[in-house]
Amino acid sequence: MKFKLIYPKWSKMERQTEFHLPPHGPIVFAASLPEDVDVEFTDENVEPIDFEDPVDFIGISMMLTIQVKRGLQIADIFRKKGVKVIFGGIATMLHAEEVMQHADAVFLGEAEGRMTEVFNDFKNNRLRKVYDYLNEQPPIEMVGTARRDILNRDLYNYKGIQMVDLVHASRGCRFNCFPCAVAYLGGRQFRPRPIDKAIAEMASIDNNRLFIVDNSLAQDTQWEMDLFAEMIPLKKKWCSHPIEDNPKVLDLAAQAGAWYVYQAVFDTSQYIRDRIRRYHDHGIGVEGTILLGLDTHTEDFIKELIDFLLEIELDLAEFTVLTPFPHTRAFEKLQAEDRIFTYDWDKYTADQVVFRPKHMSAERLGELLSYAWDSFYKNESQQLKMSRLYQKVIAKEKADNSYTPRKRELARQAFGQKLN
Amino acid sequence: MENLISELKEKIIETLYLEDVHKEDIDEDAPLVGGDLGIDSIDVLELVMMIETEYSVIIDNKELGEKVFSSLRALAEYIQTNRPQV
Repeated sequence: MKFKLIYPKWSKMERQTEFHLPPHGPIVFAASLPEDVDVEFTDENVEPIDFEDPVDFIGISMMLTIQVKRGLQIADIFRKKGVKVIFGGIATMLHAEEVMQHADAVFLGEAEGRMTEVFNDFKNNRLRKVYDYLNEQPPIEMVGTARRDILNRDLYNYKGIQMVDLVHASRGCRFNCFPCAVAYLGGRQFRPRPIDKAIAEMASIDNNRLFIVDNSLAQDTQWEMDLFAEMIPLKKKWCSHPIEDNPKVLDLAAQAGAWYVYQAVFDTSQYIRDRIRRYHDHGIGVEGTILLGLDTHTEDFIKELIDFLLEIELDLAEFTVLTPFPHTRAFEKLQAEDRIFTYDWDKYTADQVVFRPKHMSAERLGELLSYAWDSFYKNESQQLKMSRLYQKVIAKEKADNSYTPRKRELARQAFGQKLN
Repeated sequence: MENLISELKEKIIETLYLEDVHKEDIDEDAPLVGGDLGIDSIDVLELVMMIETEYSVIIDNKELGEKVFSSLRALAEYIQTNRPQV
């Protein structure tokens, strides 16, 4: 049986350098498919969908709210041809009711151990409208190595440089941050994978550079230290979300190949200043993720924050505006206060303002977002700062002899497209 | 100077893993970047690191980089002038 798995395209943030990473959700999902399913994957961000290709069953995997409208369009096209469509992934869970109107089935929750049932139902023509396992997570031990063999790897390559491969060592998050939907999606219980399984998966990846996509590694000190200790012999270099602010943990992370972290910078405190310095002291770079538009944010605060970011010498910064994604505390609050003025999901890009900020107009917040990008990259362009971070990984790799040269035959291509 | 040029040819081939390029293929007066060797801006990043490690010469801005990497001879001259004297 031929199952075509599709990852709908979306428009990237206007100010961010455009790049395409190999998706994680679809390949994790594909690992849970029964053996007799012949899966073919299309990431529409890097290649067009062949709507004429004969297939038995379509799966649409969506991570982001800005994939939803496109995902529904794709489903409509296939369903008109009489092909059944099932949806899954994070954005399917966040937009389940809307998605159901365009689907033969939606799968909510984590896929491990559930797909034999779903595919049997499909074969016997008794597909259910909803498979709701959102609150019945499978044992974390069931999570296997993701199916990276379904990716066309050369499409995730920029001028011969292979993009990082995504991998996860845990699910769930004990925190419940204001803008985040993870508490709804993966539960508030931190669920680490058995370390040997996570390590075996990392070792199996034909790429020295990884992105460990766990929500936050800073959840359980002993587990985090054990994971890093086991990672050291792999000599991988990796980026991740925050690492625990503890010298022993940071030291092990550095030995395990920590390249840089995505770290939220939410105020101008001495704590943040020290937090960034401690990463740098361990040779770990920091890309600040800066969310603008919270109710505490005045125009003066935002300007002070930008000055602060330059002082603490962040390696990179990414600016977004608060976006009330469904099933977040931000959504509940802003909706209750009648401050969300559009539910056009294509505008939920995180660089367009879709709500009324407390201290300024939506338009002014948009201007301050541009001001933030312009000010931070005024003296050193984004490209130059990215080059410096890239040099850091090369230096680390050359120091432990794990460096491999880029694919020179792809030097004149970017994400599958020929360059002039 | 000619010795340094010869040494740099070896180091460039080695640093960039230019498998099909030999020392004699590199014209020291031809543009180093964007020419027949296929050296591009990403290679320049690696060459900048190599030059810093091997010769303690730092090339840290775009304008300087454009001047220094205009040809292999220009690069050698810049290193010769700016390397620490022992």
